[in-house]
Amino acid sequence: MTDADATAADAAATDVAADQSKDDVVLRVEDLQKSFGALTATDHATFEVERGTITGLIGPNGAGKSTLFNLVSGFYEPDGGRVEVNGTEVTGMEPYEIADHGLIRTFQTPRKLEGMTVREAMLVGPRKQPGESFLNLFFRPGDVGEHEAANLADAERILEEFEIDHLATQPATKISGGQMKLVELARAMLAEPELLLLDEPAAGVNPTLRNKLAEQIRRLNEQGTTFLLIEHDMDFVMKLADPVIVLDQGSVLMEGTPQEVQTDERVIDAYLGGSP
Amino acid sequence: MVFDYLASGLVFSSIIVLGSIGLSLIYSIADFANFAHGDTMTVGAYAAFVTFGAVGGLGTSVLGLPIGFFVALVAGIAVAAVVAVVTEKVVYDGMSAGSIELLITSIGIAFVYRAIIQIGFGADFTRYEVQTLRPIEALLPYGVRVTQHDVAIVLSALVLVGSLHTLLQYSDLGRKMRAMADNPDLARVSGIRTDRVKLWTWIIGAGLAGSGGVFLGLYNQLSPRMGFNLLLLIFAAVILGGIGSVYGAMLGGFLIGMINQLTPVLTELGALLPLVPDSFGIPIGIEYANAIAFVIMVAVLLVRPNGIAGEAT
Amino acid sequence: MRVLSDPKGYWADLTRSEQGVVAFIVAFAGLLLVGLLTGALAPTYFLYLVGLAGMYALLSFGLNSQWGFTGLINFSVAAFFGIGAYGTALMSASSSPIAGDLLPIVGLVVALVVAALLALAIGIPTLRLRADYLAIASLGLAEVVRLVVLNERQFTNGSAGVRGIPPFFEGFPVLADLPQMMPGLAIRPLPGTTIVLETPFWGALLNVVVVLGFVGVSYAVLRRAHRSPWGRVLRTIRSDEDLARALGKNTYGFKMQSFVLGSLIMALAGVFYAHLNLFVSPGDLDPVTTFYVWVAVILGGSGSNRGALFGGFVIVGIREGTRFLNEFAWIPIDVAPLRLLLIGVLIVVLMRYRPQGVLPPQRELIWPKVVDEAPDRPDSGVREAKVGGGDD
Repeated sequence: MTDADATAADAAATDVAADQSKDDVVLRVEDLQKSFGALTATDHATFEVERGTITGLIGPNGAGKSTLFNLVSGFYEPDGGRVEVNGTEVTGMEPYEIADHGLIRTFQTPRKLEGMTVREAMLVGPRKQPGESFLNLFFRPGDVGEHEAANLADAERILEEFEIDHLATQPATKISGGQMKLVELARAMLAEPELLLLDEPAAGVNPTLRNKLAEQIRRLNEQGTTFLLIEHDMDFVMKLADPVIVLDQGSVLMEGTPQEVQTDERVIDAYLGGSP
Repeated sequence: MVFDYLASGLVFSSIIVLGSIGLSLIYSIADFANFAHGDTMTVGAYAAFVTFGAVGGLGTSVLGLPIGFFVALVAGIAVAAVVAVVTEKVVYDGMSAGSIELLITSIGIAFVYRAIIQIGFGADFTRYEVQTLRPIEALLPYGVRVTQHDVAIVLSALVLVGSLHTLLQYSDLGRKMRAMADNPDLARVSGIRTDRVKLWTWIIGAGLAGSGGVFLGLYNQLSPRMGFNLLLLIFAAVILGGIGSVYGAMLGGFLIGMINQLTPVLTELGALLPLVPDSFGIPIGIEYANAIAFVIMVAVLLVRPNGIAGEAT
Repeated sequence: MRVLSDPKGYWADLTRSEQGVVAFIVAFAGLLLVGLLTGALAPTYFLYLVGLAGMYALLSFGLNSQWGFTGLINFSVAAFFGIGAYGTALMSASSSPIAGDLLPIVGLVVALVVAALLALAIGIPTLRLRADYLAIASLGLAEVVRLVVLNERQFTNGSAGVRGIPPFFEGFPVLADLPQMMPGLAIRPLPGTTIVLETPFWGALLNVVVVLGFVGVSYAVLRRAHRSPWGRVLRTIRSDEDLARALGKNTYGFKMQSFVLGSLIMALAGVFYAHLNLFVSPGDLDPVTTFYVWVAVILGGSGSNRGALFGGFVIVGIREGTRFLNEFAWIPIDVAPLRLLLIGVLIVVLMRYRPQGVLPPQRELIWPKVVDEAPDRPDSGVREAKVGGGDD
């Protein structure tokens, strides 16, 4: 895809909700629907995430961003539509099966792991550890130990890259909210995702740490991880993400570059109090 | 025979319904499975026992029950409610714990209630000092052996459940309770004073449980274990009806109570159903009546975890 | 052993509550020793108590690996215990209505298989759901198991119970006849007291060997499991199941493994009990046993194996201690409701004021060989103060 094509594609995206011309799609969401009783949370949402991007997902409160995350990652079962990760349909699968296809997510409120140190909490991250099989603990202890050592080294390396290695042996419950967000991101990276869904990574994080977080996301993106992130902090998302998808009342309102989104009338209307 | 089982099923159902409504309300609004709910019924029964012993018959009687018994019933309801509210304020309220920790605490509370009653009244069975009645003559030709007391239980339960229905449908408090039972977070956001609603939930839930306990004592006997023994049935009713649904709890309670009393019929199903050979039957003794409720509960959890009245997901 | 080489340093490294526990254990052991030496406590009875304590420790291990590790609420400890006891009794006892006279080791295997199947049967419908469903369903399961044992006379002898259970080592070479072969010994530990050790004593001693074996193996298995990635997933599920799911863990499978493992250990306790008591009856399935074990686990510290061990011993203290209350005439009430009250109050007070128990897990739980390469004591560890010579 040449630059000119990309521009053309972006321009087209302002008119069509879902841009069908992306050539390397890691996540495809088609006509996804979910309602809770009378409330329609996701209303025929369709969009794609291209490999190698940091895609932002924004929308006013109640637009259905979190529901969409839960549907995509397998925490909710959709009423209709389909989800594809890396070309495989994962609709209705359990979260762990979807994770096996390379999709990992984080949560809006940092989850506390009682009684663990930061590096212990980090060690939950790696997938398919031999030590997660009960029998291996007794029949292949050497293997378990080797992987544990390697994972611990990885964890400590990532903590170092995130410049929070001094927290490694702190209780996971006694670090600040911002540090917790960093640890969550670091732990999710240990699961080696191809696509990482971040639910409000910057919420409750002080400006200094927020910059650090943005820096890390950009660095990891350059190393090959695709990101899809929900964010309320417009400044944060507009600096980081391209393209940005706007969600309103459960469906995709538009998709475009940060500039396009910021100047689009429909987006402004949606944020100013719902569409007419 | 079947009519007789149906009649006693109706009486027993009334008691289960009174227990399960409160359990379901507390489950959804206070957000934990209250394992002390059965023993709250026991508290009501014994409070009525003491009151009735103190006030006596007070003259005239209705449906074979002296007025004093109805005074005792009110006392049983009141004491159960007060005990539950005090427990809530002293124990649960101050805990910064999740629903699981509250659940475990509630089983400790259940033991405390039961132990205190057992210390006070002994482990043996007792009865209310009311005259044992003969079955109503007019119904005997149909094979139905119910006493006026049984009729009184069903009618009182109907009155209580009817009042609850009115409260839920037509009062401000009732609407808030239903909203909170449906979705506690949403209710909190929309400005409902959840503390007040919670308090009333405990009062109503425990009060109904207390009345159920009094009727259980009248229907059978009183013993310190009476409520705990019923707990499984009440939970089965609540799960069958769908946690958080008051009307589901009523329906679930009704079904579980009926099935429980109809257990003997299962062995002779063939004789009752058309198109089925007479020899057909599910050979299960009445000693397994509670086990049937358990099997139903597990089946519901497998097929429809949100209950028959809940949303299927 | 650091306790012996550097007792002062060992003591100083303990937390306050650990010091309390050590002091308690020392005082209690001293009391028992005095009892033994003066003849007030018969050696055979003492060994019986040790056996019971081991049995409760096993039950606590089982519950700890369900509730303490994973946060699964199992209210049918008594049922799994009963399955273990009846499983082996019905295989090996002379009065068994179905099999009988088989080797106790066969009984052990049968009991464990049945317990595992039962755990699967109750786990399948409930473990996909919120944690409280397992609590409710397991309470029901306990009742159903009790009803079946009580009413299916043709299989279980009903309320009469099963008699004629052989000792655990029946059929083993040497060990089976050891108690009879051992000579009677008379010991005079203090002037004026004589203790005679005869066949029952040696039999009881063998029982203690059995239970120590069971406890030792279970402890070793659980300790390794607890410090492994497997245990870490369980602990993550306990804190936040959604997080574990998001990180790609099949939480249903892990919960099932944890539930079955715990149930097997509980059944093991039942197997031991049957060969200790040589008689089982439906009374042994009394649901109150379940809640003794709950108190033991919460008191010891949910998630802590040594806490469960400690809790198990305390429970025997409570059970056997309150037995003597009956002998004081000035207490006019029955002991049963007092015990119930004590259990209830303990559960409420612990959950309200000290939910972490007396000996909560202390150390970082990382695979041993890996963490040994790291500094022995993290400069600022899981707990602020110190990391003792203890284990998990």
